Amino acid sequence: MKQLFIATLLLVLSFVIGHITALIAVPSVIMDTAMDRMQERGLKHHQFTLSPRTTPQTQTVVRPSPDLAYSVCLFELSGNDALRIQTGTYDRYTSVSFFDDRTNNFATVRVSSDEGADIVLLAPGRARLGTGVFEGQQIEAPSQRGLILIRRLAPTENDYARVVEASAADRCATLERSSDGEGSA
Amino acid sequence: MKTILVYVFYLLVIVAGLFAGGVSALWMSGLLGKSTISSFATVNVNNWTTDPSIGAASADAYTRARIARHGLLALAKEEAIYFARSTDDDGEPLLEACSYELKGGPQEALWWSITLYDNDSRLPMNDDNRLSIDATLVGNTDEWSAIISSDQPDAPFWLSSRSAGQFDLTLRLYQPEPGVIEDSRQRLFAPSVQKVDCEGSP
Repeated sequence: MKQLFIATLLLVLSFVIGHITALIAVPSVIMDTAMDRMQERGLKHHQFTLSPRTTPQTQTVVRPSPDLAYSVCLFELSGNDALRIQTGTYDRYTSVSFFDDRTNNFATVRVSSDEGADIVLLAPGRARLGTGVFEGQQIEAPSQRGLILIRRLAPTENDYARVVEASAADRCATLERSSDGEGSA
Repeated sequence: MKTILVYVFYLLVIVAGLFAGGVSALWMSGLLGKSTISSFATVNVNNWTTDPSIGAASADAYTRARIARHGLLALAKEEAIYFARSTDDDGEPLLEACSYELKGGPQEALWWSITLYDNDSRLPMNDDNRLSIDATLVGNTDEWSAIISSDQPDAPFWLSSRSAGQFDLTLRLYQPEPGVIEDSRQRLFAPSVQKVDCEGSP
């Protein structure tokens, strides 16, 4: 009787542990897999790469929009790291969205067609840059790894060709660190 | 010897529990079985469904797992709202073998689009270049209609379902007006999907 009770208790406990572990692991595993595949396709850390125009033949993630052009920058930040993200100007819908290593969209910045974006992404826990160093928007990443995605509305071949031109000015680069830990923008 | 057998039995119970717990989590998240993007939605407007927690850090673990599979890199609702439907107005599955009339109108958003995906959440493998319609094509002021079919119809706007098999539609609203998702029954112009005919039907 005692052994049956222990077995039932173990079954319930292990079921709950297995359930919670799987739930926690799934988003991280899927994001890791997606980022690994992007790297296999040649995407680099701290550098934007414009994906080919979205078609059935070029799609790489689920539910891509064929009306949008996507540029991706993978990031990996540690310690006192910070990234400066800048986008070239484009006269149609543009946004910069940030995803952590568990698929959360932790920030999205709407980009003006006149100016482009100028943003600093800070490593988790890193102190913000002083106003004398950088005047733009600063975002703290909740995880060390993740990716940054620029979406630009480009429903036609002509629009995509213009995105190619605009994306040449996209930047996703590590800030140089001074000796006191401040980044140099 | 008996003690060893008891411990082996306990070990097997633990392994079975871990396995069953893991499988149940995947099933409840819609990662196993025949779930669709609409299966767990919490908002339904004339068969267009959505989950407002898409992309949000507040999303529960089940939603996060489900979105990771069906909508990886989706935006939070403040920037974009995603509605999906996998049935026509009569509640029947959307099929490549049938043609449909899709009718809609203006949306309270900067830009909108409707895209067709196959049962694996992929763009169907065809080269028709007609897998979506959007506000830049049909405008965002008047009502419009389009045909969904596997062959090009005699109509100004066409969504190609060639090679899609059973499919679904995703309506994206980018930069929606505040409150659209909370009051979507009143403020979403939910496009209708009326079956026209099917291959082999009289």
